[in-house]
Amino acid sequence: MSKIMRSTIFDVPSSLRITFGGPMVFLSRTAHNVRAPRIKYPLWYLQRERAKDDQQLTGDNRAFVKEAVHDKFGMPAVIHGISTYDVRSPLSEDSVECTNVEWNPKLQRTGLIARKLGNYPMWLNNGKSVLTTLLQVIDNHVIKYIPPDEFNPPRKPYSCPNHKKQLGCLLVGAESADPQYFTKQYCGLFYREGMMPKKYLGRFMVSPEAALQPGTPLLASHFRPGDFIDVRGKTIDRGFQGVMKRHGFHGMPATHGVTKSHRRGGNVGHGGEKGRIFPGTKMPGHMGNRYRLHKGAEILRINHKYNVIWIKGIASPGETNSIVYLYDTILPLRKHKSPPPFPTSKVLDNDQLIDSYKEDVYKFTEQTITYEEDK
Amino acid sequence: MLLRNVNFHRFQCGFAPGNIPNFCTVLEHALLINIFLTVLYVSRSYSNSPLPDVQQLSSDESVSGKQVKPERKSVVPSNSRFIYPEFLPDPKIEWRNSLREKLERMDMIQRRKHIDIPEFYVGSIMAVSSSNQHAPNKATRFVGICIQRLGCGLRANFTLRNVIKHVGTEMKYQLYDPTIQKIEVLRLEKRLDDELLYLRDAPNEYSTFDENMEVEYLPEGAPVPVNPEMVKLKPRPWRARWERKDMKGLADLGLEDRFYERAKELATPWEKYDLMKQYRKTIPEEEQKEIFAEVYSELHEVEVMRKKLKRKKVFIKPTKNV
Repeated sequence: MSKIMRSTIFDVPSSLRITFGGPMVFLSRTAHNVRAPRIKYPLWYLQRERAKDDQQLTGDNRAFVKEAVHDKFGMPAVIHGISTYDVRSPLSEDSVECTNVEWNPKLQRTGLIARKLGNYPMWLNNGKSVLTTLLQVIDNHVIKYIPPDEFNPPRKPYSCPNHKKQLGCLLVGAESADPQYFTKQYCGLFYREGMMPKKYLGRFMVSPEAALQPGTPLLASHFRPGDFIDVRGKTIDRGFQGVMKRHGFHGMPATHGVTKSHRRGGNVGHGGEKGRIFPGTKMPGHMGNRYRLHKGAEILRINHKYNVIWIKGIASPGETNSIVYLYDTILPLRKHKSPPPFPTSKVLDNDQLIDSYKEDVYKFTEQTITYEEDK
Repeated sequence: MLLRNVNFHRFQCGFAPGNIPNFCTVLEHALLINIFLTVLYVSRSYSNSPLPDVQQLSSDESVSGKQVKPERKSVVPSNSRFIYPEFLPDPKIEWRNSLREKLERMDMIQRRKHIDIPEFYVGSIMAVSSSNQHAPNKATRFVGICIQRLGCGLRANFTLRNVIKHVGTEMKYQLYDPTIQKIEVLRLEKRLDDELLYLRDAPNEYSTFDENMEVEYLPEGAPVPVNPEMVKLKPRPWRARWERKDMKGLADLGLEDRFYERAKELATPWEKYDLMKQYRKTIPEEEQKEIFAEVYSELHEVEVMRKKLKRKKVFIKPTKNV
């Protein structure tokens, strides 16, 4: 199976779990040379969407169901600029488990689920303009932690058979939603933790030391300005495309006797013994709609009020308003130099701190940039 | 906005009042509105009345507004979208996100507190001083006519053109660039077109402006004057086929008939009747009001500051003449 499957399927209850005898390895964040994307079902072993059937409820009954939902989980509220529910999970009271473990570079922290908001320019203190991408961390909560021994995903990567079980799996959900619209099994995932069902789920491989209590909120302050992150998302689906758009070929001339081949790729093979098309030859085909990883994006600014992260560059995959996953970068030279919030940041009580910037980023509240005369 | 337009046209075309409720039920479908209004527009065009474009429609709205319902007058002036066009987001639906637009507006207002960005239009003569690491005094000043104004949000930019030492020179500035120290409008006026890119193909005298030009003040509350100057282009070749662009500020181009015939073939005069196209290209008026209601109080503060400064300048001016 493709690696995409691997990285999107999360753990299932043991009753539903399909077990293979093979050894377990941790997920790879990106997939190369996979087959063209196709509809994969079931994407989640627990079916999420319920069939839309009219339950023929009266208006009163509908209101009662709504009230029951609000009674159980909490009233609708706008928190950090997102319309969600004021969840009263008993577990979120003493959220971060006090693990007195010091951070060291070998420990792997959890990631975040974010929405891509779009791009706009920012300026550096030297007057240079940089384009930034805005990512909003949308109402993230830890749903479940599966220790390394118990973690047994239905589909395993086969690239690394001798891998030792070292990392646990942290299930993170984003965007609370009304449980009426999901199946019973799907809601059951959250029920035990007293959480509302989440619209989006993500599976993050973490060191056992970085495990978090279910119900812990994850905020944008999990990262700091100046950190480097990897952004994983699904690229824009462009459909079946020719080589000029898909691989950036130059095509052929418009004139000089060329007919009907202006946008074609030209020769794809050799003659003689090599008289075949080699595997991996760049040819027309489906473009986009694949998971891709933008590695080593620098964080320039964080807004704590709306949980928005500004990263440098506009290369992160996906359209505006699509879901992306954020990780600490895997690039060796851009890893954390100083200890980050570990296992995650605490919820700040004071609302004083709204924006934090990297040192060399121009703040719009500052004076106009001027250069000093050199002598 | 669509609904209002419909009301307006119903009024203009003299529909019987009894038909209106039935008609309103049909309004559910945007497509039907489109078809229906297209018919209405066509029927209007036979009466030789000038066709209102989208911008005019909203100014006529006060007339139709009385017919529909008495609304509470908002404090936000109706011409805000001409003075602050960059506060309206890009209408392309795939790129829209309300939170991003809000954060962008907050940043823009923060910047406006540090620099006075005056009201200006394409055709205004402006002077921009900006920090420049390579200039002798670490700053440069450029005077020129604004030939283009583009972009929304923090990407908003404008282009100035002048002839310096017999060479046509253009400078493109980002409106919210923190290296810009000062933006002055030396002569506030509009021209007949929304883009003056044809000045590149015109003789140099059309885009030559004195670098030491003094600021010309308009009386308080006066409308922005429109300069009806017609530009006579140099003979072809040009940078664009101006005969096809339907420019109002161009004098006779002096071309052969075949050029005009071809331009006529390629013209798409029906596009101005395509209301859905107009709708997709613009931000609906309700949304505009929402946006300006959100930012107006802070913009107004900045505006008051600017006026104070301006009054000082006006006071100084007569002493200079003496």
